[in-house]
Amino acid sequence: MSSSIDKTVALPAEPPLVTGNLGFHDITQLVSYHTEKRPPSTWYFAIAISSTLLCVLLLMIAYLVWNGIGVWGNNNPIGWGWPIVNFVFWVGIGHAGTLISAILFLFRQQWRTAINRSAEAMTLFAVMCALLFPTIHVGRVWVIYWTLPLPNQMEMWPQFKSPLLWDVFAVSVYFLVSLIFWYVGLVPDLATLRDRARNRLRRHIFGFLSLGWSGANRHWRNYEKTYLLLAALATPLVLSVHSVVSFDFAVSIIPGWHTTIFPPYFVAGAIFSGFAMVMTLLILARKIYGIQNIITMDHLEKMAIIILLTGTMVGFAYITEFFIAWYSQVEYEQYAFLNRATGPYAWAYWTMMSCNLLFPQFFWIKRLRRSIPFLFITSIIVNIGMWFERFVITVISLHRDFLPSSWDYFNPTIVDVLTFAGSFGLFMTLFLLFLRYLPMVAIAEVKMVLPQSDPHFYDQRKSDNESQ
Amino acid sequence: MIPLPIVDGTPRGSDRKLWRSRPHLEQDPNLTEQIPEELIPGAADAPSGNNRRHFMQLLGASMAMAGLAACRRPVEKIMPFSDRPEELIPGVPLHYASAMNFRGIARPLLVKSHDGRPVKIEGNPDHPNASGSSGVFEQASLLQLYDPDRSKHILRTGALSSWDDFLSLCQRFQIGNRRLAVLAAPDHSPTRARLQAQLENQFPDTQWIDYRSEGDDAETLGLQMAYGLPLQPTYDFGNADVIVSLDADFLGSHAKNGNWNTASFAQGRKLNGVQDEMSRLYVAESTYTTTGTMADHRRRMRSDAITTLASQIATALGVYSGTSPDTYASAIASDLQQSNGRSIIVAGESQPAEVHALCAVMNHALGAVGTTVTLSDTGAPVKTSQSEALAALVSEMQSGQIDMLLMLGVNPVYDAPPELDFQGAMRRVINTIHVGMYVDETAQTSTWHIPQTHYLESWGDGRSWDGTLTPIQPLIAPLYEDARSDIEILHALNGGQHAKGYDLVRETWASSLGEDDFEAAWRRILHDGYLRDTGYPAITAVPAFGGSLPEPKSGLELVTRLDPTLFDGSFANNAWCQELPDPITKIVWDNVVVLSPKTANDLGLVCEYSKGRYYSDIVTLAVNGQEVELPIWILPGHADDSVSVTLGYGREISTTRSERDTPFWDKDDETDIYARGTLATGVGTNVAKLRNALIQPVSHGVQLTATGQKARIVTTQDHGILDTEARPLVRSATLEEYRADPAFPLQEEAPTPSSGVKTDFSDYPELWKNQHPAKSPALRDSDYWQNQWGMVIDLNACTGCNACIVACQAENNIQVVGKKEVGNGRELHWLRIDRYFVTEGGEDLETDPQIVMQPMPCQHCENAPCESVCPVAATVHSPDGTNQMIYNRCIGTRYCANNCPYKVRRYNFYNWSKTIPATVQMAQNPNVSVRFRGVMEKCSFCVQRIRETQKRAGLEKRPLHRDEVTTACQQACSAEAITFGDLNDEESGVSRAVQNSRGYRLLAYLNIKPRVSYLARVRNPNQELEPAKSS
Repeated sequence: MSSSIDKTVALPAEPPLVTGNLGFHDITQLVSYHTEKRPPSTWYFAIAISSTLLCVLLLMIAYLVWNGIGVWGNNNPIGWGWPIVNFVFWVGIGHAGTLISAILFLFRQQWRTAINRSAEAMTLFAVMCALLFPTIHVGRVWVIYWTLPLPNQMEMWPQFKSPLLWDVFAVSVYFLVSLIFWYVGLVPDLATLRDRARNRLRRHIFGFLSLGWSGANRHWRNYEKTYLLLAALATPLVLSVHSVVSFDFAVSIIPGWHTTIFPPYFVAGAIFSGFAMVMTLLILARKIYGIQNIITMDHLEKMAIIILLTGTMVGFAYITEFFIAWYSQVEYEQYAFLNRATGPYAWAYWTMMSCNLLFPQFFWIKRLRRSIPFLFITSIIVNIGMWFERFVITVISLHRDFLPSSWDYFNPTIVDVLTFAGSFGLFMTLFLLFLRYLPMVAIAEVKMVLPQSDPHFYDQRKSDNESQ
Repeated sequence: MIPLPIVDGTPRGSDRKLWRSRPHLEQDPNLTEQIPEELIPGAADAPSGNNRRHFMQLLGASMAMAGLAACRRPVEKIMPFSDRPEELIPGVPLHYASAMNFRGIARPLLVKSHDGRPVKIEGNPDHPNASGSSGVFEQASLLQLYDPDRSKHILRTGALSSWDDFLSLCQRFQIGNRRLAVLAAPDHSPTRARLQAQLENQFPDTQWIDYRSEGDDAETLGLQMAYGLPLQPTYDFGNADVIVSLDADFLGSHAKNGNWNTASFAQGRKLNGVQDEMSRLYVAESTYTTTGTMADHRRRMRSDAITTLASQIATALGVYSGTSPDTYASAIASDLQQSNGRSIIVAGESQPAEVHALCAVMNHALGAVGTTVTLSDTGAPVKTSQSEALAALVSEMQSGQIDMLLMLGVNPVYDAPPELDFQGAMRRVINTIHVGMYVDETAQTSTWHIPQTHYLESWGDGRSWDGTLTPIQPLIAPLYEDARSDIEILHALNGGQHAKGYDLVRETWASSLGEDDFEAAWRRILHDGYLRDTGYPAITAVPAFGGSLPEPKSGLELVTRLDPTLFDGSFANNAWCQELPDPITKIVWDNVVVLSPKTANDLGLVCEYSKGRYYSDIVTLAVNGQEVELPIWILPGHADDSVSVTLGYGREISTTRSERDTPFWDKDDETDIYARGTLATGVGTNVAKLRNALIQPVSHGVQLTATGQKARIVTTQDHGILDTEARPLVRSATLEEYRADPAFPLQEEAPTPSSGVKTDFSDYPELWKNQHPAKSPALRDSDYWQNQWGMVIDLNACTGCNACIVACQAENNIQVVGKKEVGNGRELHWLRIDRYFVTEGGEDLETDPQIVMQPMPCQHCENAPCESVCPVAATVHSPDGTNQMIYNRCIGTRYCANNCPYKVRRYNFYNWSKTIPATVQMAQNPNVSVRFRGVMEKCSFCVQRIRETQKRAGLEKRPLHRDEVTTACQQACSAEAITFGDLNDEESGVSRAVQNSRGYRLLAYLNIKPRVSYLARVRNPNQELEPAKSS
């Protein structure tokens, strides 16, 4: 009798989200340990490089503010050059984290738990890089606060019809909500670190940050509700922020910008690039920190599938743009797209097409989806492609618009290049500090998806043992 | 010293005495010295340098001097502000009539002065030979006045000297039979003529040569050949039906009578309705010129082959027996004959005198003289060839026969042919005196250099093209103490005494006006800017041409022309001129060898375009035993087997200014165009030395060899041949097509061919709906709402001469950014002239295109796309319908510039205005903000002029007069191609122009409703040469 009952209970076995048969303490130890031990020499090496780049960024900004926008390659038709390309690029990267945390949370995709913490951290740092560029790209950075609706005696308000202003709101709200969401998720883990702390200072800092978390049932209840609500709040923001960024272009009247397809196309592109960036970082981190059992091959494969999906969507959008340009029969529109593919910047266009549309298609092959070197290379290629997508949209549309007399070409300067490189310094420095001081995997959440967290886990094992 | 009771210590009306010490009480005579000594000796003195009292004195004095330096006024009538002249209100500008000598002709001007600083130059509207318009060089001459590199001191062999030293030289020179030679820039000044006569009287052997860097005046010599007298022709292009130009760029900025020609030509091209007639212009020329762009039939031919065309036309007309005419020539001839005297044939400066003579004969034979051609007798003696006279002078100099050489406003070391070795000959003359505005090539080799005054600093006079006597009034005292005017120097030479230019001019005029009532007449002349009824008499005579035309030669020819932006080099140090795009090639800050695509191909030369930059082959151009290295430029429409160069580049001017040197992190030394020496030095190459001793414009036997190197050439426009059917930007039709469909421009409107023609876009939804700021009650209640400003530009009248660009630059304080930054696409011109090549039908794409010009200011869209995207509302709509930039509010996102479909917005990438020299600061218009870095700027429809006029009307308690407000570009335009005014007034010029059926708005389909509209171009082709295309 008992054996027949067992058969009815047995469910089709899902592959475990955490491999290596790790217990609760193993997880805690595996993750917390890295914030407590002396960092490996790789870490010192990496932080040396990235903080040098960060200094380069600061020097470039100082040089820019002292001399003026002329130190970049921008010119008369091309008012927006690399800084805006970089802005959209970083905002795009900043999409994956909140998407993984919020949307996948709402969809009960439990595999997200292994990567959501670092993805969210990456989001915050990417958005910080993104916010930097529109700030420094204005000609008079010392009056940038005029874009904020600050009450003043002149009753002079910002111009609310401008998409740039919407940007200010969209990106800053996204940043704040992402920050809160990330912090709320961190609270139980901060308490774990507090409890493990060996010295007073550490205990006090984590004690302060963990808001008195004691793991009480009431705490857990409030936490889970808050987390759910924040996830619900963050979800529309994931979609809105890049839609609003795309309005910068779509609301204008320049051929190549004035396109209604932009909001969904930008969001798809953002998820695409965001996942690629998460993949790049995690492939390195899981290897260096030895957490292959938490961030497993299955995680990477799932991300590869999302990259394949969004890459194909983006590619579809590229082709749709061409179709609509042809279908509209508007000379200027048609020329704008023809010029992308065949004009002086054709190299940039075809770089974008091959990186974004072609390379992800290899993920149809399962073997490649599960090959670490291939995943790593493709994730970098995708981000190169996505940077070029923004370049194509921003620069190629501007360099030849309506009146051929004003056409020109954009040549970046060394300051453009170093500023962009420097933004990676900012990003990597913050990310390395995060790896060093905070739990890079959501310990509490991963524990929830362990097989051990199933109340009947031990029963099951016991019966397994018995049957053997 | 003003006695002050407190200091004196004796209160008035009292016996009470205040004293400080015993010596004081004892009235020691050394009282002032004693007082400090009563403390510790030396305690009141500074450890080094001046003591406190001295310091305070110097401080006060220098503050007072600094104030004085800003208000320099002519010494003749100087008055302090404390005793304010009746007419002068601080902040309200005054206008004075003056004139500028340009190629010997006085161009009548009206100059605006702000608190003693001339800030803007316009044509004198009252003058009989000017219409209030002005050209490139009149406009740019303002900056010349304030040029920081102007010569400041009298130099004797390079060392500082003084006017007294020069006077003593002149005094010593009076003794004995001295041989004097004068090379002077042409000038019809009566005062100079009087002084010249006196000088020739004093020194009977004086050789006086009117020296032009471009060589002989072929036109005068040609007319002299035909009529026996150096007559001067005036062409009434407005009354001509057929105009034939044989290499004549009569509409060009450097044409002697360019403004008049342009105004008159435009009169014959304006079409207000289908009934209007327009003239037909045939142009045969070797390179593309401003005149060529206006042609109805343009034929590109070598300059020396144009004699053949002249011969063919003359043969067809029966006044010459030469080559039998081809289709083109006979079509022209029959067209000329049918025009019943309403025709003009005009030959250009590059043509030999014979062609000019033959043109005179043809004009006479056609009956044009008297109807469209007026010949006037300038009273000048028979002219001899300048180059022959110069050659003779040089040989006399070589043999040491000349005691003194005076060079007035000329630069022969730079532009005399090297065959003569002028510089070597100068060394054989003991006293070589150079008078010029710069320490230039000639100044550096002369024994004496005297700074020349600018015409706005000195008294003078001249004659306009029609001969009207025109005074030259100064508006400011010479900026540099040592500067002297030509007439002052001539007077000094003649007796060694100093006299003021003012007295010299008055003396001349007093003798011609008579003593009675001279003061009143003089005042009147100064006020009006001319003396009535003093034009040259028109004469009628029968011309004859017995000679024969020179035959064209084979092989590559080189044509040397005056530069349309630098003239002969005298404007080379003028930043506005250097940055002014060539009207055809749009090249700035450089000169090039222009050649046709075929010639370039034959010679294996290329002009590579790579990543927005042009890299031209540098060639060695060898001719007449001389060679220079120059980059090439390939110009479609240029004649084959012919190359063109322009004068005025490759200057070497020295300056005393120090170089700007900033630390590595500060780019001011790179962005400041004045940072490294003079502007002109090192820009381009001097081609004047390629000419032989005869200084002919056309040279033969030219060798072009590639050096293998490349040079970066900077243009303000990308290369691009526009398919007219594809983008309806410049719309044009033939006269027949226009008459068949007067509203033809609207037919080209819709960008979507299949949806049919759409001309009305009112059903397009607006972004603003009823929220448009201009419709808000606040704006509607404004008084400004009464006027709605608009502009119409007639593309049939615009020649693309560039005068409007410089006028705009002068009016609106537009900074110059230099070659590198123009190359980076950062020029600041608010108004640009778009040049498009047009090829129709099966014509060979690259060889024979037409050129059309389109001035492009801000279009002041009613639904301005720039306004809706600015996050801080820095660009907004005014109640009177203009799009305004609020510089103070701008944070510089550049979004507005991106969203401008016309790309007329200009951005301050660097702090251009920070580094401008102090003198150039004086040239800035005080009514226009000087922009800081990081802000956007653009055409404002000269809002300062609108407000100034409205204020004046307000003070006078009257409404604005009709068309009272003029923009700077409109005012400068000789062709009157720009109409500006109030669209609310149905009778205003602009309202009437808007009604013109040729009108269209650019990119109307975007529904942005530009306030600027264009009148389409109409060509008037000859049916014989170009049969109607259809029906």
